[in-house]
Amino acid sequence: MSEKVTALIIDDEVQIRRLLRVVLETDGYRVLEADTGEQGLSDIALRRPDVVLLDLGLPKVDGLTALRRLREWSRVPVLVLTVKAGAEEKVAALDAGADDYVTKPFDSPELLARLRAIQRRSSTEKDEPYFQAGHLAVDFSSHTITVNKQEVKLTATEYALLKVLAQHAGKVVTHKQLLREVWGPNAEEQSQYLRVYVNHLRKKIEAPNAKERLLRTEPGIGYRLVLPTGGKP
Amino acid sequence: MADGAQPSPEARPDKSREDTRRDRPVERLNGASFIHQVALAGVLVVLVTVASLLLEPFTGYLSIALLYLLLIVAAALKLGRAPVLILAAISALVWNFLFIPPHFTFYIDRLEDAMMFATFFVVAMAMGHLASRLRSSEMAERRRERRTAALYELAHQAAFATDLETGLGAAVSLIASVSGAQAALLLRRKDHTLSELAHPASSFTLSEREKTAALWAFDHPSQADGFIGARGDSSARCLPLQGRTAVMGVLCVRRAPGKSLDRGETELLEAFAVLIGLILEKDHVVEAVKRAEVLEASERLRRALLDSVSHELKTPLSAVQAGIDALGRQLGGDEEKRATLREVQSAVRRLRRVIDNLLTMTRIEAGVIQPKLDWCDVAELVQAAIDLAGDGVAEHEIAVEADHDLPMVRLDQALIEQCLYNLLLNAASWSRPGTTITVRAALDGDRLTLAILDEGPGVKETDLRRIFEKFYRASDAPPGGTGLGLAIVDNFVRSHGGSARAANRETGGAEFTLTIPVETMRAEALEELA
Repeated sequence: MSEKVTALIIDDEVQIRRLLRVVLETDGYRVLEADTGEQGLSDIALRRPDVVLLDLGLPKVDGLTALRRLREWSRVPVLVLTVKAGAEEKVAALDAGADDYVTKPFDSPELLARLRAIQRRSSTEKDEPYFQAGHLAVDFSSHTITVNKQEVKLTATEYALLKVLAQHAGKVVTHKQLLREVWGPNAEEQSQYLRVYVNHLRKKIEAPNAKERLLRTEPGIGYRLVLPTGGKP
Repeated sequence: MADGAQPSPEARPDKSREDTRRDRPVERLNGASFIHQVALAGVLVVLVTVASLLLEPFTGYLSIALLYLLLIVAAALKLGRAPVLILAAISALVWNFLFIPPHFTFYIDRLEDAMMFATFFVVAMAMGHLASRLRSSEMAERRRERRTAALYELAHQAAFATDLETGLGAAVSLIASVSGAQAALLLRRKDHTLSELAHPASSFTLSEREKTAALWAFDHPSQADGFIGARGDSSARCLPLQGRTAVMGVLCVRRAPGKSLDRGETELLEAFAVLIGLILEKDHVVEAVKRAEVLEASERLRRALLDSVSHELKTPLSAVQAGIDALGRQLGGDEEKRATLREVQSAVRRLRRVIDNLLTMTRIEAGVIQPKLDWCDVAELVQAAIDLAGDGVAEHEIAVEADHDLPMVRLDQALIEQCLYNLLLNAASWSRPGTTITVRAALDGDRLTLAILDEGPGVKETDLRRIFEKFYRASDAPPGGTGLGLAIVDNFVRSHGGSARAANRETGGAEFTLTIPVETMRAEALEELA
């Protein structure tokens, strides 16, 4: 990357902002800060950051509201920061257009990996014909899937599922989103389909004795196709 | 009767007997005033006859008949039908005997006199009959009016009273004013049984016999509409206070001594009972809504407090963690400083666990945590828990023993994952590095069993029973930990209707077993779904 990626941190805690700045700058980002949702929105409009870190617990205009307003006019990747462990708030944020989330207190490597994954979105939209994650390789042009260089047969539904997950590799994909993209808009409530197919897919694409698991469940939220460290598409 | 909880058959108001009982007092009431009215009629006839004897020399005997007719019409407006008819008959006979020639005989000489007498008799009878009908319909009208007014009064006073006590007091005094009867109220208690103590607004104390009858009326609201204990003086009527959905209590009415309730009054009391039932039910609903609102408000407050405490604890922790990560990158190869930083890191991790456990326990106690069941893959669940434990179990060997074809099960994955995570860390802290921690998963019918086995010293007999208690720490526990981890496990498993158990392995080491009832879905179900 010749030009630095700009990240905007929207958080009311000055300590968090300062330390996130250090973490991000060490990783090569140019960092902007905003301490309220309104300030954050105007910064996004004026200074066009490449990625946004948004705290959900902002005073006055809360993070979720700011996110909804932002999504009316911008598609900038947003990583949501939250202190709540439960799934509801995260699902609400993802439904409102967040690209992923991390729970405070977070580990910096995890945060940086998520940030990378949500920026990758725009590149996968260019219809990359190949996808690789660890021992799994997918050739979308010929519909071939190999695990440890051995070809694996997937049903049409399993393939569709894998395709959606691979397009969002590294990012969480909500149950709703998967059901909608694989089974169509009327299937959003049919979650048992999804559980069964994911279970099948997992058995087919994960090497039996591999320590690393590719398809991770985010309980109550969705699934994440994990990119093993260094595995870039 | 007084000593039995169950009412004896005599006290039970059976329909046929009840009807005769209801009618008898009505007759007696008329009988009492009947003699009175006939006597009055007699006096009137005598008065008119004396007046007629004085007038007859001037007017002639024919005009006298008109006087008698006048008397009958006037009497019909005041007296009952039978006395009026008797009066009419007597008047006809007296007129005939005293005034129609020949005097002092019932014999009538002339044809026109006989015609006059016959006409007089028919007219008198018809007048008496018509007048008394008019009167009785007027009286019915007045009764209806009084009833409507009383109901309106009750609705107004009781339903709009500021509190229930005043409302019921108003109802009792209203019953006294319209029927002269005393009233007692037995209300439904919170556990939906009938209170044995009469409501303070009641105007008499119920006898044991009446209480039993009230209880019967409460239990059989559709049949209980009668007198009880008609024999003897205990003659309270017990009316169930039937609300729209439930019987809210019983209204017992004791008539004034020597007076009985007529049909109209009985109907009025029944209407009162319905109205009081509805008022009580309304009050009950209002109370329930109020309670729910208060509960909701306190729940909201508790959640807000929890959220803010959790925010205040976790934000500085995030800052510390980010600081450690940043320092780690800046330190480079300085091994001595790195070692210090690792110490800080492990202290922060420990702090994080304590805070997480404390917040989780608080959430459990606030009732905020409810399991959200969803289909999940057991193998994945076990692996996720091991991943979550991460560095915490890095120095141990982890062995997973799971059936190969475990079906999908329905449970709250996040909660059970947390259980396994806590048990893994617990096992790791009790057993030496390098030993094996075994995770077992099996399904027996619809019971999922998850077990964590370690090779540590095991659990002392005395601790086995108390180990899942909150803040309980085994006497020889390794440092660190708050005694919350296992309590959380126990809570989460119980929230699924399952149980957690600790035991010692025969080969040494501890064994923690979670048994959770689950719905299962075999892979074959997939074909059916698709």
